[in-house]
Order: sequence, then structure tokens, then C-alpha cells
Amino acid sequence: MHSQLLRVSDVSAGTEDKPILHDVSLAVGAGETHVLMGPNGAGKSTLGRVVMGDPTYQVTSGSIFFDDADVTNEAADKRSLAGIFLSYQAPVEVPGVPLYSYLRTITQKRPELKMTARKFRARVGEIADQLDMGSSFLTRELNVGFSGGEKKKIEMLQLLLLRPKLAILDETDSGLDVDALSVVSKGIEAYRQDCDGSLLIITHNTRILERLTVDRTHVMVQGRMVAEGPGSLIDDIDAHGFEQFERAGEDGGAA
Amino acid sequence: MAENSTVTLSRVNTPPAQTWNYLRANDITLEVPFVSRKGDVYFALPRLFESIECGMGQQVTEWIESQATDASYVEVRAGEKREEPIVVTGMDTGVMVRAGAEATVVVCVGGAKGSVGSLSASSAAGETGQGPSESANEANASATSKQLSTSAALVRIIAEHDARVHVLEFVAADDEVQHIESVGITADARAHVDARQYFLGAGTTAAGLTCSLNGSSARFDLTCRYLGREDERLDINHVVRMRGRNGRTNVTESGVLDGHARKALRATIDLVHGSSGSEGTELENVLILSDDVTNKTMPVILCDEDDVAGNHGATIGSVGPEQIRYLADRGLAEHEAEALYVRALFDESLIAAPTADVRAVLLERAKAVLGEDIANDLVEGLELDAVAHEED
Repeated sequence: MHSQLLRVSDVSAGTEDKPILHDVSLAVGAGETHVLMGPNGAGKSTLGRVVMGDPTYQVTSGSIFFDDADVTNEAADKRSLAGIFLSYQAPVEVPGVPLYSYLRTITQKRPELKMTARKFRARVGEIADQLDMGSSFLTRELNVGFSGGEKKKIEMLQLLLLRPKLAILDETDSGLDVDALSVVSKGIEAYRQDCDGSLLIITHNTRILERLTVDRTHVMVQGRMVAEGPGSLIDDIDAHGFEQFERAGEDGGAA
Repeated sequence: MAENSTVTLSRVNTPPAQTWNYLRANDITLEVPFVSRKGDVYFALPRLFESIECGMGQQVTEWIESQATDASYVEVRAGEKREEPIVVTGMDTGVMVRAGAEATVVVCVGGAKGSVGSLSASSAAGETGQGPSESANEANASATSKQLSTSAALVRIIAEHDARVHVLEFVAADDEVQHIESVGITADARAHVDARQYFLGAGTTAAGLTCSLNGSSARFDLTCRYLGREDERLDINHVVRMRGRNGRTNVTESGVLDGHARKALRATIDLVHGSSGSEGTELENVLILSDDVTNKTMPVILCDEDDVAGNHGATIGSVGPEQIRYLADRGLAEHEAEALYVRALFDESLIAAPTADVRAVLLERAKAVLGEDIANDLVEGLELDAVAHEED
């Protein structure tokens, strides 16, 4: 494995009244692509949010290290600036904020990405072309009135603009038609090639993985990490489903 | 009355239907300069304009007419698509957009004195004004003593049938300015009027706009964006009279209030008898960034017709938790997320600004509110600087 970029160690977390994750461990090396799979309600998205620092969830035990720093108690904005990016399954609408203002502000927050406004605009234009986006979207309000596919493209646009060290893609492929899926897949591929970042992809759909080389596959069931294996594990899941892992989950241990 | 003095515009900017006086939301009382124009030769607008209902009411119309040194009349010929915007430079302006024509009307106020209809009276409007809301007049307060100059604009527009009219209003003045802006519009059959208002600064901004959709299938779209900060005061009155059949109205107001800002917004859609098949929607979204803000919103739908639809709604509060979380995930702390909303107002206004002069006014205000670096970044990023240099 490459040097570890993300290390989640024995993390238990949940909301105030409901534990969701139980002693979950996961490690992602620099430049690696990992896939996180599991049946609905397994806690995959929760894990993504806990890594991102969503205050909805409290970490009751365990630790999260990112880039050799303990970020377990860091706020989400600090984690973001450190290089973690979480792509939303359902991106939030932000009325009153044009996309341009938003993109410019989040880029300027990162010293390594600071550039003149003119260069910034050119850069956004390049990425937009890559993602088959029109030019008028910049003056529209962030995610307001955009279709599901357009919202996912805007997530990809941010991914390519911010160049995070780790991108957690939470079912980025859900609800996309074939064309939009193709564009999003191209975006992810571009991220891997241009930014050499790490990926943790939460998905049910193997089509989004077709252009990628998967290094590790993780399987979660009922808030526990029950299996980990090479990329070929995805084919096994594709053929046989999660039943074998669900049984392991009932036994309460990792396979 | 003295040659140069002040007068009180008492309880102006009122909506068609008022609410309880104790709520102090019905109107505003303003102390304004009065300069005698005795002996002046005054060019008045054609009589047709006298019948236009203006947003701030007849008292303000009469005061502005009494103070204007002249009136400006602009006519856009039938079928003409006028590319050059009609920039309002005087206090009293009438625009006639003939059948099938298209025109853009721009009002812009900025700087320390206001660039439109600035009254040079050094009598300092407001210096003799009553104190804030505790004044004798129970309904509303007068201008505060901080204000030194008053600017005013009265704009009346007639859109004949099938005309297309764009109205752009920018108020981005310093805190020492009290600005009064009253707009009246009539729209005949199938005319389409859209108005965008950006109220981004002034010690007191009192603005009223009334649009009467007189003809059938006429349409009015209004977007009002505002920023109130420090001790600024905003008093806005929107009235849409839907008289013709199958009219359409869409009014969207949104803004940010911070510091000790006080804002009252009255928005009325009046579905008059005879307006069957018409639909009107009004929606306000207010973002409150300080506990010391005073926000009053008074949305009203009046209805005297069957087969019509009137909708209104208002959202008032801080930045939503979902938005805060999303923006935090992209690196913005809560106070930075709030600042983004303010920057966004200026970005949007600069995008809408039709001329270099307007952009210069907005840029000056942006420098005062956001700081010079961000303000310059706005202009450069929106690729507006080159245009400004060319036009300069």
C-alpha cells in the first residue's frame, strides 16, 4: 500500500440517540481508488459524512487520521481545507448565491489554488467544457433549478477545481441517465489523472467504475465493516449480491 | 414657506390595504429638503403621466415635481428596439414605450450625494428630523440625524401593447444619503415589464414601485435584492394592480440584513375585478445575520375576482443548516458562508449593471462593504474591467 492518506481506526459513531457505525476501520493510501459497497442502510453514507466531519454525527470512540494529522475533532471546513472532499448524493440548493461567487470564494480559501480572477474564469471554463456544461450556468444560483444530472456535474466541477487529496463520492452515479453517467465518469477519471488524488467511491452501480482501476473494495453491513478485498471483489458482489456478507454482519465480525 | 427649508412627507409609501398601526409597518415618514422654485419655468410631463399610480404615493410625487428643475420625457417609437439604455438623470422622468417597442430604463444612485436627483440643499434633510421610532408619529420614524443629503427620483413608464420594458434600479450610496425613489408603470395588452432592483446602500432607502397591468395578458416580473447593514434603513413598497384578464405577475424579493439595519417591505398583489384568468405570486426570502436587525414583511393578496390565483410566502431566518453544512464541506466556516451571501449580492448586481457608470457606482459600494481586494476581484472575475476602460 502507498503511504496512508486516510486512516479510520475503530470508529463508532452515530446520532445522539442512535449508534450507526460500530468499530469501523478503513485505510486509503495516497493515489489509491477504493470502493465502499453494501446493502441499503449499511452505514456507507454515514461513514462518508463522519470522515468529512458532519456535526450531525458524534464519534464516540476511535480516531480518524488524514495526512498524518488527527482530524477526529476537526470541523468540516478545516477538513475540507486539509484536502477532503465529499460529493453529495443530493447536492444542496443555495438560493441567493450565484455559482460564480461560490466557486470563486471556495477557491480563494485555498492558498495553493489562489489565482487571478481572469485565470480562474478560464480554468472554470476549461473544466466546464470537459464536463459538457454550458456557459450560462455560472450566473445561476447554486444548484437551484438544476436537474439531477446538472447538480452532479457541478459536484464534479468542484472536484476538478479544488483538486482535493481525497474525494469521497457518495453515490454520485445515482439518478443519472446514461449520458450524464458517462460525463461524470469522465470527470472522475480526469480527477485521477490530473490530480493524482485518492478516491473512496460509495456506489451500487459498477458502471461508474468501468474507467477506473480499483485498488481495494470494502463491504459494510449494519454499520460494520464486514469484508475487504481486491478490486475483483466487486465482480463477486455483482454475481452473488450481499447475502454472504449480511450473514457475516449478523455474526458481528469482519470477513 | 421659507425659500430653502425642510418639509415632512408624512406616512408615505403606503400599501393599498394597511395593517395595525401599532406594528409600525404601514408607512414611513421622511424629513426632506424643500427648495422654492417660484418663478422657474418648468417643463412638465404630458398629462397622460399624471394618471399613473406611483409606488410611494401622491404626496411624494407632488414633492418631487415641486423640487425638480425640469422633467425629462423619452419616447421609444412603435416597433423600435432601443439598444441604448435610457439612463434617468433628473428627478422627474417619463418614458413612453410605444406599441411593440423595447427599451431599458436605468436608475442609479451612488456616492456621498446620490447621483440622481440630488438636492443640493444644505439644509441637511433629517437634521431637523424627529428621532427614530419613538417619535410623535406613531407609524414610523423620520430620517436619522446622520443623513446629510437627499436624492430622489420619480420615474413613470407607459408600456403600450406588446411593448417590452426592462427596468433596472441600483441604489448604492453612502450612509449619509437618504434616497427616495418612486416608480409607476402601466402595461397595456401583452406588454411585458421586468424590473430588477438592487438596494445595496444608503442611510435610508425609501422606494416604492407600482405596476398596473391594465391590458389583457400583460406580464410583470420583479426581482428585488437588498442589503441592509449597520444603521441603514430600508422601506420598500411594491404594488401590482392586475386589472386585465390573464395577467401574470411574479415578484421575488430577497436580501440580507446585518448590524442594526431596519427593513420594512410591503408587497401587494391586487387582483382587481375584471382580472379573471390572472395569476400573481410574491415570495420573499430574508437572511438575518444579526440579532439586532429589525425586519418587517407585509405580503398581501387582494382579490375581487373569481378564477384567479394569488400566492405569497416569506422565509425569514439565518442561513439554513443544510446550506451551512454543504458550504462547510467545501471549506467555508459559518461566518464565511454568511459573507458569501453578501458578496453574491454584489456579483449579481454587477452582472445586471448595463453600463460602465453603473458598474463604477457598484464597485465603490462594494469596496466599502467587502473591501478593495474582493471588490476588484468581482470586476476582474466577471470580465467587466475591460468594458469599463473602453467606455471610460
